[in-house]
Parts: sequence; structure tokens; C-alpha cells
Amino acid sequence: MPYLGSEDVVKELKKALCNPHIQADRLRYRNVIQRVIRYMTQGLDMSGVFMEMVKASATVDIVQKKLVYLYMCTYAPLKPDLALLAINTLCKDCSDPNPMVRGLALRSMCSLRMPGVQEYIQQPILNGLRDKASYVRRVAVLGCAKMHNLHGDSEVDGALVNELYSLLRDQDPIVVVNCLRSLEEILKQEGGVVINKPIAHHLLNRMSKLDQWGQAEVLNFLLRYQPRSEEELFDILNLLDSFLKSSSPGVVMGATKLFLILAKMFPHVQTDVLVRVKGPLLAACSSESRELCFVALCHVRQILHSLPGHFSSHYKKFFCSYSEPHYIKLQKVEVLCELVNDENVQQVLEELRGYCTDVSADFAQAAIFAIGGIARTYTDQCVQILTELLGLRQEHITTVVVQTFRDLVWLCPQCTEAVCQALPGCEENIQDSEGKQALIWLLGVHGERIPNAPYVLEDFVENVKSETFPAVKMELLTALLRLFLSRPAECQDMLGRLLYYCIERPVNSWASDFNTLVPVYGKAHWATISKCQGAERCDPELPKTSSFAASGPLIPEENKERVQELPDSGALMLVPNRQLTADYFEKTWLSLKVAHQQVLPWRGEFHPDTLQMALQVVNIQTIAMSRAGSRPWKAYLSAQDDTGCLFLTELLLEPGNSEMQISVKQNEARTETLNSFISVLETVIGTIEEIKS
Amino acid sequence: MSASAVFILDVKGKPLISRNYKGDVAMSKIEHFMPLLVQREEEGALAPLLSHGQVHFLWIKHSNLYLVATTSKNANASLVYSFLYKTIETTDSKILQEYITQQSNKLETGKSRVPPTVTNAVSWRSEGIKYKKNEVFIDVIESVNLLVNANGSVLLSEIVGTIKLKVFLSGMPELRLGLNDRVLFELTGRSKNKSVELEDVKFHQCVRLSRFDNDRTISFIPPDGDFELMSYRLSTQVKPLIWIESVIEKFSHSRVEIMVKAKGQFKKQSVANGVEISVPVPSDADSPRFKTSVGSAKYVPERNVVIWSIKSFPGGKEYLMRAHFGLPSVEKEEVEGRPPIGVKFEIPYFTVSGIQVRYMKIIEKSGYQALPWVRYITQSGDYQLRTS
Repeated sequence: MPYLGSEDVVKELKKALCNPHIQADRLRYRNVIQRVIRYMTQGLDMSGVFMEMVKASATVDIVQKKLVYLYMCTYAPLKPDLALLAINTLCKDCSDPNPMVRGLALRSMCSLRMPGVQEYIQQPILNGLRDKASYVRRVAVLGCAKMHNLHGDSEVDGALVNELYSLLRDQDPIVVVNCLRSLEEILKQEGGVVINKPIAHHLLNRMSKLDQWGQAEVLNFLLRYQPRSEEELFDILNLLDSFLKSSSPGVVMGATKLFLILAKMFPHVQTDVLVRVKGPLLAACSSESRELCFVALCHVRQILHSLPGHFSSHYKKFFCSYSEPHYIKLQKVEVLCELVNDENVQQVLEELRGYCTDVSADFAQAAIFAIGGIARTYTDQCVQILTELLGLRQEHITTVVVQTFRDLVWLCPQCTEAVCQALPGCEENIQDSEGKQALIWLLGVHGERIPNAPYVLEDFVENVKSETFPAVKMELLTALLRLFLSRPAECQDMLGRLLYYCIERPVNSWASDFNTLVPVYGKAHWATISKCQGAERCDPELPKTSSFAASGPLIPEENKERVQELPDSGALMLVPNRQLTADYFEKTWLSLKVAHQQVLPWRGEFHPDTLQMALQVVNIQTIAMSRAGSRPWKAYLSAQDDTGCLFLTELLLEPGNSEMQISVKQNEARTETLNSFISVLETVIGTIEEIKS
Repeated sequence: MSASAVFILDVKGKPLISRNYKGDVAMSKIEHFMPLLVQREEEGALAPLLSHGQVHFLWIKHSNLYLVATTSKNANASLVYSFLYKTIETTDSKILQEYITQQSNKLETGKSRVPPTVTNAVSWRSEGIKYKKNEVFIDVIESVNLLVNANGSVLLSEIVGTIKLKVFLSGMPELRLGLNDRVLFELTGRSKNKSVELEDVKFHQCVRLSRFDNDRTISFIPPDGDFELMSYRLSTQVKPLIWIESVIEKFSHSRVEIMVKAKGQFKKQSVANGVEISVPVPSDADSPRFKTSVGSAKYVPERNVVIWSIKSFPGGKEYLMRAHFGLPSVEKEEVEGRPPIGVKFEIPYFTVSGIQVRYMKIIEKSGYQALPWVRYITQSGDYQLRTS
């Protein structure tokens, strides 16, 4: 990307590079070239002096050569036509008597990354593979992989591959490792380099000659080799034994992996290996390099999954230090949580408790969750610590403790009592969604053991309008209904209020239905109608039963659903019917016999309007009804199903009697539909009764 | 090959130097690194491994430089991190700076000959080194890491030892180092002598590991100049060398009173030098007053500590420091952590483990006489005592 002012700089440098006086003075010449490189690394476009730089590569000064080659590799992809000019010099350098120059030229040529360079580099690479200097061979071997990549197709040059395989026997260890790397790239499509028995044994014997990078990689390649016999397997393991104690963590990890995979049929060997790398792993866990420490801790956790207690006696190594970075502390807390046992539980919990009050909220919360994890085994101690933490009245602590409690009472019901005792008061210190949900859940499920549970929930109901998290509202609805079942007297009123709030719809929920039939029928009603379309057509001129959804403040959401579901579940399908006249009703009532009679429990007062409304929801019409409070109280109801069968009902409340007597008459004697009708009626009356009490 | 490319970035995430090894990860991917790092840092979920789509960034920070390796493979993480650290080790930041400088830069001109190490059998030492006086300086340095709980119980105590050599020897000398290694003594039946059990021993690559494994001989051809020959670890519990008892009383809105008692729990003949005890104080403390039985105390407000320095602290002695700070009447909102008390010290002519260099044999073809010099130092490593 051209930089502002780079043109002048390029012009000036170009002039300097062409200046024969400068060219004659080696130091000055090199200085100019260094300036070019410096601008290049700073992002200035220096491709303008490409020609001059190519000329500068023809020098005996190897430092200058290297700088120029670096320049070429950077700009070759941008200026492929100009880079071709450099090829000549590079090819010439590839046959320089100095091995450093040969290697450098070959290496640069392979890094040009421009189309068409393959044909030029092929011969120098092949020559390089047979060079007597190991440095050139190292470069040439890697060059094979680069050449293959440049070709872009998956065609594999068989002769080249064979040559590379034979170079695995090279005396220079780096050539050997580079061969492996190169073959791996070239044979990527075929699954990489093949490690057969002779190659595996050869590599094993060369292991000690390699540097740590080579060792780590060879260990990785050896994973592909499957020893033929048990004897061979153990020979290999013996040979590699010392690498488990290498000073390079990369080699230790690589060797461990190889051991674990080779010994997959011998669990005792695997365990033994893990015991033996315990020392190096622990050392890596307290390594000065935080990153290596982090990696080691991640692996320790993995080992602990299979061998719980493996590091138990070294638990102190996993105590956090004040200045450690966050990611290490979090890993250590996880490790502590997993290695806890009878002997160290006291100390580990003591330490974790210290972390719970750390300034970093995240770390403190991680520690609390860890204690929660330990609580699955050592419940009493942990619950006690967690309860004490609630006493701190810190928001970020309380919320996590309550969440931990919620998870804990599932797994360890024996701690429910202690948890219930700890809960009162924590609602004052919880603001976030997760914490509120956990608290509300606990209050709902175990509310019968928490004296003030309804009152805590009442506060939530009071503030439900300003509650921002929908999940909390959902949890509140469920919890309150649960608690209502165990403590109805204290919950009825607020459940009603909550339901009222829930039923009251915002504009958006009905805007799409506006100016359609839906508001005319009522949403619930419309749903029924659209289901039974075809069964019976409704006369649009008929007066409509009033909609339930628009009013009906006292019908609980749950029951409403239940009532609506009935038409689906039973065979009975009540339809909104032409209003029967009182005369017709009376005539029919008198002409029929009572088909069914039963009593339902009924206490105290109620609003007849409520009942009427509830009955309308299920398409039962009220023909006549006594005034509220009158004794005896009577009501006459009628309903019709989709087959035209009429159900006529009398409800009777005798004075001083706590029962409601129901009598049902039917114009066609069909017991299944009669039973369904009665159950609908029972449901409605039962619901009214529940709300009332 | 684990890493596809290696970058050195400045503190703002701008690439200073990069090297594209494999070319299978686009070099522009590095632009995602810094935003990702910042984002993770804000979330408090920073880790040494970050991922952006298919690309993984393995990174370390060295002073104000980021060294980042990109890879798209499931690489050996330990190896990549080791490599990044090795990069720092071999390219000392001073050398790196030479390449990155904005002003004129100089490159060493003397090295235009082919470095012989490239094709040498002993890659770490070049031939033809000459000194007038042949000497070897051996430093045995033991660092004590200590973590003590607020109630005074020792949570962690370990010794990390290193043997560092400074070699001024001509030619290709063959060196052999003898230690009072317990395993060696047991092998040779001298178990009555005082010996040390070394754990987790690691050597410089010049040491012939096979010989050490066979007969515990440490033999090697050393590199020229400074290098770390070996390191070891001892996890045997030792008495904390400098024991601290502290009482930090905080009277909200008025003052903080600190009393620190330091006790030297090492031999009477030894002396700890340059002792520095840093005691944490609240960040809003003011008007410090100190009283010390020995040494001097200084308030360092930028680190929120009082540093009590004692030039020489003989074993068995006990000293006292009292500090008094004022606190503002309006308390500040944010909660503060509880940093531990840190101690720095150095005890010359003494090793906690009791390790001894018994001999250092130097053999060279030309048969010159060379002198080994040995020095023992025990120093504080990560030495922390938590406060309540």
C-alpha cells in the first residue's frame, strides 16, 4: 500500500543505489540497502527499487545478499515479472562454492511464492538434495514441500517422494526431521508420511541426536506406528523412557501422548506413565512461563478426569498466588475442585473460602462454584461455608451462592433443610437474572419449609412490572403456582394479581388481529371455532358470547388452558348455541328426566358473575340465576354439543349446606358425552372454588 | 510443523516483524488478534490461546511486545509456547530493538564469515576460542518460593536451584562437575557423607544425558561465556528463612496501624543482604509515619506499599517496624484486594539445600591449567506471606 511521501523516499534511494560511488563502498552500499529494508518493514511500498535491488544481490557480501533476498521474497508476489529477473542471480548462487550462499539462495528462491517459479526451482532443489553440505540439504528438503504447494494440484511426484524417504537416513538430524515435515505436507491427501517398521526403528535410534523441536515432532509422527508385538512395544517404550523427563515441556507432553496411545491395551502401563510424568507436569504447573503453566494445568485437569485423586497429595501446588493471571487462577480452582479427598478437603476448602472474597468478582464466583462442586461429596462443610458467605451481603457472592444451592438440592436432597434456613434475607442482595431465577425456584419448590417464602415472592410480584428479565417472570409464575398448592391461603391473592398481569396483553400481541374476526369472537374462542370449522357454521347475525380474554381477571392461566384443551381431549364438542328462551328451557327441563346428579364441595360466598363468565368460556349458557347471597341459590344452565344434543343443568345451593348439588338432563341419552359434560362442569366449578379459597 | 507464521507485534497490535513459514494461514489474519485480545480482556476471559474461525493464535507477552504464532492445526501447545520463549531467549530484546529502531541502525559487520556452528558437530561452541587466562566461574543459586497463609501456616515451600557458568576457556575443553548428589553417593557407597537429593533435574543441551543416566556424571563441552548449566528443584520443607509476623489494623475513616516483625531463621554466621519487606497499605492512605528498630522504611504510593529495607540482616535476629497512616474520612467506593507481604533477600555463601560443588575437572588437548571459582547464593524467589 503506497504511503504518503514514499515516492520521494523511493526516488532518493533509487538514486543512492545507482550511485557508482556508493556501490564501490561496501559499507555505504549496505547501509542504503538496510534503509530500504527498514522502510519495507514499516509498510512503505519499496517495490520501485526492485531492479536496483536485484543488481545489489550480485555481491560477495553475504549480509547484503541476505538483506536483498529478504526484500525479494517480500515483493516477488507483487511484482512477479520483475522477480523473474532475480531468478538468474539466485540460480547462479545456488551453485556458489560457499554452502551458506547456496543454502540461502535456494531458501529464498523457494520462498518467492509467485506463479511460474516452480519450473525454475525444480532443478536447484534436486541438486540441493544431493548437496554435500547439510545446511543446503536441510533447505532443499523443505523446498520440496514448498514446490509441491506452489504446484497447487494434488499430483504427487513419486520420484521426489522416494528421494525424500531415502533422505530419512541422512546423517544430519535436522535433514531427517525436515524430511518428515516435507513428506507430511506433500502426502497430506494420502494421510501424510507413512511410518513403517524400519523407519520407526530408525527414528527411534536417532531420537537422542535431535534437538528438542525435532524430538517433539518425531514423537508425534511415531504415533502412526503400531508395534507388531508386545515385545517390540515395550522395547520402544523403554527406549523413549528418558524423554518423559526431558527438560523441554513439549517433548515431555509428546512422549506422554505416545506412551498413552501405544499402551492403550495396557491400562496399568498408562497409569504408570501418568504417575511418572507427575513430576514434570507439576514442575510445568509452576513454570515461570505462564502460558506453559496454563497448558500444563489444562492437561492436569484432563488427567484428573480419568484418575481422580492423582494429584491429591500435591494439592498445595495448585493454590493461587496473588499476582497470577486470571486464566491460571481459574484453572487452578477447577483442579482443586477435582482433586479433593478426605485428607485435604479441610485445607482445600479453607483456601477456596479465601478466594471467595477476592476483589475480582469472576474469580470469587468461580471459587464459589468450585465449593458447590465439592459440596456434592462433602455437603455439610460446604453448605456451612456457603451460608457464611451469604452473611457478607455482597451481590456477586449471594447470587452465585443461591445458584449453587439450587443445583445442590437437586443432587443432595439431604441438604435441603440447611439451604432453606440459609435463604431468608438473600433476596435483598440479588439483582441479576440467574440469581433471581435460582432464588425464586428454591422458594417455589421448597417454600413450605421457608416461613417467609410467600412474602419474598410477593415482593417479586409487586415489582413484576419493572422486571426486565422474561426468564425471571416465567420462573416466578411457576414458583408461585407451586407454592400456591402447598400454601394456598397466603398465595391466592398475589397469584391472582400475577395472573392478571400476565393476561393483560401489550398492544403488539393483538395488533395483527386487529380489525378481523378475532377480537369479535375473542382469541380463545376463535381458536376453537377455527378448529371445528366445517363441523358447524356459526350464524354471524347471532349475538355473540362475550370474549373471555378481554376480561375474566380471576381465571388462572393454567386453568384456562386446561379448559380450552378439553374439546380436543374428550369426544365432547360444545358449540356456542342460539340463546334458548327461558320458556323453551322450562318446557324441555320439565319434559326430561334427570340423567345425572352429584354434589361438589362448596364453601362460602362467590360472585355469580364470575361463574357465568367462566361457563361462557366453555360454551355453557346461563339461562337464569339467583342473586348473589340469596339462599337457596339456584342457577339454570344450558349447552349443546356439535351433534345437537342438549344438556340442561340445575345448580342448587341449600342454605347452611357446604355442597353444591348438580342435576343434569339430556335430550338424547348418551352416557359418554354426558360424562364429558359433567367433567367440564366440574372443572369450571372446581376452578371457581379454588380461586375463592 | 506446528506454527504457520510467527509475528512480533507492538503494544497496539501493529506487526513489527513477521515470518511466514508455511503460507497456509493468510498473513492478514493477524489483524484479528488485537481486537480479539481486547474483547477477551474486557470479558475477563483472557487466555494464552485465542481463536478466530479456523485460525488459532498462541501468544505470549514480553515487556511491551506480543509474540504471536498462528496455526490452523491441532498443534502441540507446549512446543509452540516453548518456541516463542526460545525466540525471546535467543533474540535478546536489545538485538531485536536494533532491527526495529526508527533511527539509524547498525548491524554487526564482523560476522560475514560462515558461522562454523552451522555445520559443526558441537553446535553450541565454535572452534578456535582463545583466552589468556583460563577460568570458569560457577554460581550456585537457590531461589526460595514460599507461600504462607494469613494464619501463619506454610502452604508452599520449594527451592529452585540453578547452576550458572561463566566460561572463559580456550579451545574445546571437556568439563566434569562433581556434586554431593545423593543418588551418586549411594551408587558409590558413600551414603554417610552429607548429600542432597535433587528432583526434576534439567540440563543444558551440552550435557551428555546418557552419561548422567548411567553413572550420574555431569560431563560436557561448555558454550563460551554465560549459560545455565542445570536446574533442579527441592520440595523438602525447610523453615522459612525470613519469618514475618504482621498486624495490620484498619480503623475506617481514620487510620491504619501496621506492625511488622521480621525474624531471620537461618544460621547465625550467615547474613542476609538487601532485605526488602514490602507491606501493602490501602491506596487512599496518607501522611505516613514510621518507626523501625533497624533499617529504613519508605512509602511507595504508586505501588501502595511500604518498603522496609534492611541492608544486612544476621541470622537469629529479630527486628520490628511500626507504620502509621491516615485514612480519608470519605471512604472510596471500590473494594481492594488483599495483596500479600513480599520479601526480597539474598544470603551469600549459603545454600538451603546444602548442595556443594565437590570438584570441577577441566581437560583440554593443549593441557592448560584452568581455575574454577565457586560462589553460593540463596535468594528469595516468589516469597509471599498473605495478610488477613
